[in-house]
Amino acid sequence: MSQIQERGSTHVYKVNKISKEEMESMVARCVYEEPPFCCAACPLKLDVRGFLEAAASGNFKKALQLYEKIAPFPLILSAGCEAPCETKCRLNEVGEGVLISEVERAVARFGEQSRLGGVFRSKKRKSTAVLGSGLFALMLAGELEKKAYPVTVFCTQDSHESYLRECAPFLDDEAFAAELKRLRGKDIQFEFNCCIDAAFYEDKKASFDVLCASDDVRYELFPCAKTDVGLMFCEAQELVSGKTNGVLDSAFGAKKAALTVDRLAQGLDPRNTRGQEGPVDSRLYTDLSEAEVLKRVPCPEAGYSREQAAEEAGRCISCHCEECLKSCAYLKHYKKHPGLLAREIYNNTQIIMGDHQLNKPMNACSLCGQCTAVCPNGFDMARVCLMARRNMVSTDKMPLAPHEFALMDMLFSNGEAFLSRPQPGYEQCRYVFFPGCQAAAIAPETVKAAYSDLCSRMEGGVALILGCCGSIAGWAGRTQMAEQMHELLDNELARLGDPVIIAACPSCARELSSFGEHEVRGIWDILLELGLPEGAHALERPAALHDACGARGNEKTQQAIRTLARKLGCELVDTLYSGDRSPCCGYGGLTAYANREVASEMTEKCLERSDAPYISYCMACRDRFARQGRESRHILELCYGTDAGSPPDISEKRKNRLSLKNELLQEIWLEEPMENKLDYPLVFTDEARTMMDDRMILVEDVISVMDEFRTCGEAIEDEDGLLVARRRVGNATFWVKFSMADGGYVIHRAWSHRMKVVKREG
Amino acid sequence: MAIEKNYYTIDPQGKLRCFKCNVPLIKGKAKFMYLDNGFPVELPVCPACGFVYVPEELALGKVASVERALEDK
Repeated sequence: MSQIQERGSTHVYKVNKISKEEMESMVARCVYEEPPFCCAACPLKLDVRGFLEAAASGNFKKALQLYEKIAPFPLILSAGCEAPCETKCRLNEVGEGVLISEVERAVARFGEQSRLGGVFRSKKRKSTAVLGSGLFALMLAGELEKKAYPVTVFCTQDSHESYLRECAPFLDDEAFAAELKRLRGKDIQFEFNCCIDAAFYEDKKASFDVLCASDDVRYELFPCAKTDVGLMFCEAQELVSGKTNGVLDSAFGAKKAALTVDRLAQGLDPRNTRGQEGPVDSRLYTDLSEAEVLKRVPCPEAGYSREQAAEEAGRCISCHCEECLKSCAYLKHYKKHPGLLAREIYNNTQIIMGDHQLNKPMNACSLCGQCTAVCPNGFDMARVCLMARRNMVSTDKMPLAPHEFALMDMLFSNGEAFLSRPQPGYEQCRYVFFPGCQAAAIAPETVKAAYSDLCSRMEGGVALILGCCGSIAGWAGRTQMAEQMHELLDNELARLGDPVIIAACPSCARELSSFGEHEVRGIWDILLELGLPEGAHALERPAALHDACGARGNEKTQQAIRTLARKLGCELVDTLYSGDRSPCCGYGGLTAYANREVASEMTEKCLERSDAPYISYCMACRDRFARQGRESRHILELCYGTDAGSPPDISEKRKNRLSLKNELLQEIWLEEPMENKLDYPLVFTDEARTMMDDRMILVEDVISVMDEFRTCGEAIEDEDGLLVARRRVGNATFWVKFSMADGGYVIHRAWSHRMKVVKREG
Repeated sequence: MAIEKNYYTIDPQGKLRCFKCNVPLIKGKAKFMYLDNGFPVELPVCPACGFVYVPEELALGKVASVERALEDK
């Protein structure tokens, strides 16, 4: 038996770079981190989603905290905000959008203030002054205070009351009183009764680091000066000012101006490093199919009560794009959106020294492409994971352990169990039947029946190839190995006269089409042309059809299977996520070998769609569903009236492949097979058999240990009188606990490890 | 690699015997090697033929976890 070279050392300090631009372009397809449309529309960037969530739960204190982040005077902003967020609410498309402005008003009214006015915070060293009154001046003073600048307001008014009345004349008495209290509580110095003229300005310019002014003051002092409203800056006079219009614009202007003050205070150009300001576009996807069409909570003239505001806030559907997370067990398992996971997996490949903590997630993806089908932007996690696997293989940093069993299985299929023969009577054939490694392992009788049927009903000869298409090596990221498998198949196909391949597995069909120039057809298409064979029957009960991930994007195959199922008389029940959106059973991408926990969750995800028995057209799906205890049939079993029964364990799968080859050789080609008969009795306890399947230990591995024991007699005898022998086979050491009986052995337990163990001297 | 030098000790107390040499195993010096890394350990060893025994719980426990840690290096 051939062996796969283990990676030589952990001391490999090189990486093969993946283009960062390419990775970023892939990551950018994920819109999970995009803001919801309401937030994107808000120039002040209120976290509307979080705000409404807090309000809906009745936590007005938290809601107010969020609102105060954008509004130093919440009652003023909420009283006059034009609420661009409301028009962008996605609920408008199916009913009435959330009345965000009224919820804001209620939160500003009823929310408990949580922090002190900032008196105890350490102040920045640079001093600022705001000249004049008006909404912009007031809000700018509030913003600067929030940023911990010492701020002094110089105004013509004579008191806080008159100043606030001048700035926000639209406030009702209750709101006015509350905002006056808030203004007084803030750490803002006021100098009233000022006469703001040129001399005053010059005086203040000398004593403050940054000067700001309302637009009215700016106009009086410098009527011709130009101001940049993007920066709220009058550069010629080094005065922070600008024209604003309305409450929201003043608040936004104050935000921009405060940032300009920040830059100026640090002696930096106010144009640079400002980040994204103002409303933005969002690419977020929102699934509205399950959104309840509800009307707004009617708003009384006096505004919402606490309870009404909470109820209205509760109508928010909290826009998130989680299409892939909803459908993919793998992403759900790692609880990460694919953009983030992809970035982490990319970083994993670029680690020169240290732990590759993302190896497990990288190898747990089934590469099935479901995320690409369900993602509104076609995010391709499979491409990310496959690229990462190939990259790690290319630098000899890929551990062999997660994939070794599968790769060895592939070498077995294309070695000891491989068979390639033309139909008797033909040297070259028009067709070749390629059932695939899983069909031979799980349903050998079905393969026999199908081959016999094809031979009897097809003209021009039907050859047979029993083997693996090379997908397994491809999934493992081992490109070179996959090419070797392709070369083997290419040579055999050439020898058979380049026949049309009749594949019985959609993944094989895809793989076989990917190299050489072979015409590949599905056996389902052939059966539709030929008509159903004798003995074909339906399932007695309605069944769910599970689309194979190998047929994703191949509507023709998906439809052919449905037609075939209908011709069989099957009654099919609808399931969520079918066709291109079908989930993987857990076998794809070698998940079943690399991460059994995730693979099992994938199978569960498939099965939770229906309580009915499942019909599949991929033998791996059939096997995994049956293993999970669900009645499961491959469509070929129905076509040929066979029943593969309960799923075989890993050793039986190999035995089935070998027996199928040997039986066909004897029955069809009249050749004597090479069979290695064991010349001593070997019995396994049930416990041993289950344990071996669980620990991926083959009967062959046990035989190998027993052969060694029979040759050298080395073993340990434990306290119960059982013997333990061992042998290094390939990259692992296998241990077998056994007793002797009737000239043979009863196997009780088996275990293995990959480390080599040697006796140490000294 | 921070691994305790003698992370596994076993006192066979004569319960384990070498089948070939028919002598009890003793606590002996052994070494695990994997992916170009070596770790000295103490394991039950046959004093006559040098057979080193790796018990099941060790193989599936500490050995497996160290293997996994090294594989991800």
